[in-house]
Amino acid sequence: MLGFFRDRKETPRLGTLRQLFLFATLSRSELRVIDGMLHERRYLKGEIIFDEGEEGQTVYAVITGRVLICRQGEPETGKITEIGSGVIFGELALLEDAPRAAQARAAEDCVLASLSRGDFESLLDTHAVVASKIALQLARQLGRQLRDRSAR
Amino acid sequence: MKGARDTNTGSSRYLSSGPLVWTATIACTTLLLVLLRQALWFVVPFLLAIILYYALFPAVRRLTLAGIEREKSAAIVAGVFAIAAVVAMVPTLPWLAAQAVSGEEAVSRYLAGGQALLDRTLVMLESQFAFLKRAEFHAQMAKKIAAFSGFYAQDQLTDTLLGAAVSLPALLLAPFLAFFFLRDGRRFLKFCTDAVPNAYYERTLYMVDRVDATARAYFQGLLKLTALDTICLGLGLLVIGMPNAFGLGLMAAVLAWVPFVGSVIGCAIVVLVAATDFPSDPWVVYAAIALFLFVRLLDDFVFMPLTVGRSLHMHPLPTVVLIFVGGAVAGITGLILVLPLAGVIMVIAGTIGGIVNDDRLRARNRFATTLRAERITSDLRA
Repeated sequence: MLGFFRDRKETPRLGTLRQLFLFATLSRSELRVIDGMLHERRYLKGEIIFDEGEEGQTVYAVITGRVLICRQGEPETGKITEIGSGVIFGELALLEDAPRAAQARAAEDCVLASLSRGDFESLLDTHAVVASKIALQLARQLGRQLRDRSAR
Repeated sequence: MKGARDTNTGSSRYLSSGPLVWTATIACTTLLLVLLRQALWFVVPFLLAIILYYALFPAVRRLTLAGIEREKSAAIVAGVFAIAAVVAMVPTLPWLAAQAVSGEEAVSRYLAGGQALLDRTLVMLESQFAFLKRAEFHAQMAKKIAAFSGFYAQDQLTDTLLGAAVSLPALLLAPFLAFFFLRDGRRFLKFCTDAVPNAYYERTLYMVDRVDATARAYFQGLLKLTALDTICLGLGLLVIGMPNAFGLGLMAAVLAWVPFVGSVIGCAIVVLVAATDFPSDPWVVYAAIALFLFVRLLDDFVFMPLTVGRSLHMHPLPTVVLIFVGGAVAGITGLILVLPLAGVIMVIAGTIGGIVNDDRLRARNRFATTLRAERITSDLRA
């Protein structure tokens, strides 16, 4: 009976979300749940997204633009990596209260999507399947980072 | 520049706490209660709407997950609730109308029943203690109670019933407001959060999460506590042999929403009913009082920690102070509202205090503002 009310359209917005690594495995209805929780933020080139040592509350995904991850206050000499659209950063904030391990700055004007830990925790209670899919993607991302570091 | 932040852990470092924050919390809560008192007709439906919102919210989420848009989910849940409420009201309304017609007579009868119980108790006390007899305790008390009952029945009761009847239509606002909270609540919060500068974004998000978590834990806990109290009191009253056991249990459980005073009033009403319906059996009254004391203990030591718990994270001393302030400033409504209101204001005041005390965050905001100003004015300079 609920099928009558179900919306079968894939909006451009949901298409954009599907491009983000964190949400790549979610179904359309699951993406719609997440879409209601996501915040979109715009940063200018050079603007600080978060500082090293700051307690993280959200995970970010780059929708457009590039983000520089570097050591605190050393954007040139302390560069760790630079990430582009589709990639997530600050992911440990979803898992624990630990301080941010590095500083994040907008390497160019960028649009970011953010999901807060509070919303992720409420997902664990209400939509365990969605939360577990996100957690699995998160684990994959962490595993990839670990492999990259070991290779270096 | 390096090491601009310390590396404290734990979310509590996001919240500033101290005498200033506490003073601001108490002052803002008091001011809001004063303002709310002026709009009492709106406060009660608003409060009921919030409770309805938190009760219906899980159903809306389930439907959203089933693939239905948020707006449609809210409409379906609100619609089903409205139909269920109407279905429940159809058989209840004629009964309520009949009760309302005989309401004044019933109140007088129950007050008389209570007075008779008090008379019997005072006579018994006088027979036990000689000094009470010498002081004509029974006669003095009876005179005072008769004067109070006459005044209450003639003036206060009529005014209270009329006031309740006038505010009844405003209650229809509650489901209407709850529907819009369900449909647009999250969008409104996002709208507010999006207006915050980037530098303060994560702090604001944390504050919104905390406010929502505090209010949700309080109101959903309150609903669970009411259900548990109703079941315990209803079963207990049924065992004692009281008529309408679960109806009385529900009424007493709802009255318990008013801190301290509510439980006493609930107990007093059940005692009046017991004294009137069982005039020759004082043990029913004593059993009802014992039941209320037992459920009160259960509430304090078992149910409260399981439901409302420490959802407000407030120290007992300011809690008691706030309850007195709420009662003094806004009466019964103040008593009900003061704790959740203070809990929410405390989170907001703590977050603002944290931002004001964080030089780094303010510097980042100034830097971002400069970047924007440069971007906007770059062509002007060229």
